[in-house]
Amino acid sequence: MATAARKQDGPPPGGYKPLDFSRVPARSVIGAKSLIAGYLAMSGAAFYLYFQNYKKIHRDDVEVRSSMMAITPLLMAEHDREYLKQLRRNRDEEAKLMANVKGWETGKYKGEPIFKTLPPDTLVKPIPLEYFAHGTMDNYQDWDNILLWQ
Amino acid sequence: MVVSHDITLPTEEELTVQEVNVSSSVLRSAAFHLGKYCEFANDEFMLCRTENNGDPRKCLKEGKEVTRCSLEFFQKMKKVCRQQFESYAECVDKSSCNFQFKPCRKSQGVYDQCMLDNMGLERPHWGYFSKAKIHDTKRPKPPPPEIQVYPDATPALPDDYPRHPNKYGGYYAHQ
Repeated sequence: MATAARKQDGPPPGGYKPLDFSRVPARSVIGAKSLIAGYLAMSGAAFYLYFQNYKKIHRDDVEVRSSMMAITPLLMAEHDREYLKQLRRNRDEEAKLMANVKGWETGKYKGEPIFKTLPPDTLVKPIPLEYFAHGTMDNYQDWDNILLWQ
Repeated sequence: MVVSHDITLPTEEELTVQEVNVSSSVLRSAAFHLGKYCEFANDEFMLCRTENNGDPRKCLKEGKEVTRCSLEFFQKMKKVCRQQFESYAECVDKSSCNFQFKPCRKSQGVYDQCMLDNMGLERPHWGYFSKAKIHDTKRPKPPPPEIQVYPDATPALPDDYPRHPNKYGGYYAHQ
């Protein structure tokens, strides 16, 4: 039985090729100078457009604010009248509620004014819970929630 | 409540006037012409409120004038430009969630032209009501609060009492 001839695996005749250590730079599409110039140009154009848009938005904001300021006196005048009406209603209600309590004076603590050093006839606005004291909790919460939403 | 019977409050009748019963979108759409029409009354009221430190009882007359003027404006406008205004107000109401004027420039132009032709009111500059203004009024300024004088206050030194410079300098560098 003939045995197959064995062959030692070795380098090709003439030896291996020398290793290629030389630098292979990436294919350049755009140079550094034009890259920086392009960046500046694009940023400049973008800033210009941003500024144009900013002016427009600012203009619209100021217009809305102006319209609010124009109707503020009307709203405030109506609010003042309704507020004073409610203060009187509250005071009358307290006087009626505490009519049978001996020594009770409306708006005073044991017959003494709450604010001693203020000049007479100074209106101190009551805190909200006092203002809503004779109403329901729903009334108070309506007001309170609206204030928080603003 | 802190409001006692010593504090004067106006009665219900004094406070009851005909109010302007319109909704937010109407007020917002009419704001520029309304503010221009009632400029004097509005400025007078806001100045009064500021001068009296926000006491609502002192400026009721001015406030009623503001409401009367606004009511007059709406009545006049209703006669001449009702249809144009209603389309504009509807646009402002329904085009955005916060009454922007931006989507409604076309109907605004029609409304402005109508107001200019019939009432002679031009739409003010968009920042007109955001500017600081000088208001000239005949109403006298309320007197400043009185300086309180206490009878048992510590007597002060006379003005010609001899005063010497500090012997060792003062707390601050410049003394």
